[in-house]
Amino acid sequence: MTAAAEPTARTHLRLAVPSAVRLIPALLLLPCLLWISFFFLVPLALMCWRSLASDGFAFETYSVLFTSPLYTKVMITTVKTAAIATVGALVLAYPLAYVLTISGGKVRGLILVFVLIPYWVDIIVRSFSWLILLGDNGLVNKALIGIGVVSAPLQLLYNPFSVLLAMVQILLPLTTVTLFGAMLRIDRTLIAAAKIHGASEWQAFRTVFFPLSLPGVYGAGLLVFVLALGFYVTPALLGSPRETMIAQTIMVEASQLLDWPQASAAGAVLLVITTTIAAIYNRYFSLDRLWGGSDK
Amino acid sequence: MNEFGVSGKPNGAQLRLQNLTKAFGPTKAVDEISLDVPTGTFVSLLGPSGSGKTTTLNLIAGFLAPDSGDILLDERSIADVPPHKRNIGMVFQSYSLFPHMTVSENVGFPLRMRTSLSREQSRHRIAEMLELVQLSHLGSRYPRQLSGGQQQRVAMARALVSHPRLLLMDEPLGALDKKLREQMQVEIKRIHRSVGTTVIYVTHDQSEALTMSDVVVVMHQARIAQIGTPRALYEAPANLFVADFLGDSNLLPARIVAVSGDQVQAELANGDIIHAARSTFAGSAGDRAVVLIRPEDMSVRVNREQGDGLNLLAGTVKEISYHGDTFKLDVGVGKQSLKAKVARGEGTGMELGGQVFLTWKFEATRILRPQDEADRSIATAGDAR
Repeated sequence: MTAAAEPTARTHLRLAVPSAVRLIPALLLLPCLLWISFFFLVPLALMCWRSLASDGFAFETYSVLFTSPLYTKVMITTVKTAAIATVGALVLAYPLAYVLTISGGKVRGLILVFVLIPYWVDIIVRSFSWLILLGDNGLVNKALIGIGVVSAPLQLLYNPFSVLLAMVQILLPLTTVTLFGAMLRIDRTLIAAAKIHGASEWQAFRTVFFPLSLPGVYGAGLLVFVLALGFYVTPALLGSPRETMIAQTIMVEASQLLDWPQASAAGAVLLVITTTIAAIYNRYFSLDRLWGGSDK
Repeated sequence: MNEFGVSGKPNGAQLRLQNLTKAFGPTKAVDEISLDVPTGTFVSLLGPSGSGKTTTLNLIAGFLAPDSGDILLDERSIADVPPHKRNIGMVFQSYSLFPHMTVSENVGFPLRMRTSLSREQSRHRIAEMLELVQLSHLGSRYPRQLSGGQQQRVAMARALVSHPRLLLMDEPLGALDKKLREQMQVEIKRIHRSVGTTVIYVTHDQSEALTMSDVVVVMHQARIAQIGTPRALYEAPANLFVADFLGDSNLLPARIVAVSGDQVQAELANGDIIHAARSTFAGSAGDRAVVLIRPEDMSVRVNREQGDGLNLLAGTVKEISYHGDTFKLDVGVGKQSLKAKVARGEGTGMELGGQVFLTWKFEATRILRPQDEADRSIATAGDAR
């Protein structure tokens, strides 16, 4: 009797609480889910569908993507540019993030403000600023001529240099903040432990801090790389046709050549590449660690 | 001596703190602390949180610089020496093992940083250390694959591998459960005996401090309240804070009525007269004082039994609880409530509300300075080391 009565009571309890509670997360997610569905997932699905089904159902657009020398070249340029910009941003951001990590209160706040202000300025505005700085009559050339280093203005714009310079600058705040977040989670007493057991400041950094910061570096690298792959405005404004990246090509296909299936296919491929990278990252480092989630 | 010899037993260092002071903003975390630690001694810094014990440890380690005062290691000032050149071992509260290194690499870390031992010698020394902490079979594991107790042992091995002459331990057993903690206490004592290093052990757990230490330094409000052997602190506390902080105690306000020879008589609020042996604070007739009686020093009888050299108070049982080996009683005497702890066999016949008689020896009573004067007595105890 008692044995039979007990589970009933427990089932009762289990049902009573969650049925109401379980609805709450769903309700909270609903507005966001609706928004994403209508304005992101549906168009995305339409795009994928269009890439396949223009004249009946065919993979022609995709075979063009992988066989045409134009696309191959643009893809190589895109990956190469994104990779160099990522490495550049990481190299510049690492010391900055480290200083943020070891400095306290006021200094940290001040540096963060200077890191974040450019982050809040629109990409187009920042790209235009470089146009003004690097142009033939720009600040840099005027200064160089003024102090007599060169006699004629240097060609600083419309080359890989200007594109990379601006991309690194645009990516720097996000890289810094992401690295900083990862570095903050490194237990400072580990550094103290290294020091008391004979490591100098530099040795403690090299043997303990740096190795422990590497997952954060990989994470920030992947995040920034994915972002860099999709750059459009910066190479368009500051680069020559030789620096054309995939997003520009998609734009040209869609708005000038009106070849929507082809543009859709290129978009789909870019999507697959970035999702794959994110998935690989998530597999090995877990994405929520980037945003301050707990370690596994 | 043979400081880096493979099996050479290093001597402990002699540590001396001189008027050490450290303030964070307006609050003094450590205030004019002076302490002499003879070579090879196991010294505990005991105190409630915020009493300055961890700050003192961080000053010795070199993670903090003192505002004034000096730290002498073997008569040499180390106040300006950076932590990595102090040749100190340290066990942290959270163990702080390097998560990206194996157990062997963790233990070998101080050797790589501090010595120029050959690979073979290092391996030998690491093996020796792992054997000392009984983890020889786990050298290739990573810290996250170990239990808390095992990580604790690895931290010990790492702290001791380069044969430091001074070992600092910052609440090293705080994260372990009670049983494991007691086991590790024994283990740490065994290791201390076998290596002979001077140990400074920070804890807020009084039983840990009492069981493990040669000398206990009780800290209170950034100062040293009393320094002494565990027995001296418990049996002859120099002030109210130490009496209250260590163990259970009955602290009764009283007034001294007579001081004669080595005897002091004090009158409780309800008029009862208590006899006590003379202690550091005797006062003189008319002074206010506090009487300390440990609950376990009291006998409880149902019948009145006056004996020579025994204090006696009559009271009623207000609370009685059974603790296996003992009974604990609250006995109402006048408006006061006194705690008594008696052996299992003595508890028979006592019941709630019944009359009982408390007796204890004159020598088991201590007379202490009252609260408002306690701070001054703590200040002087720090100077009179």
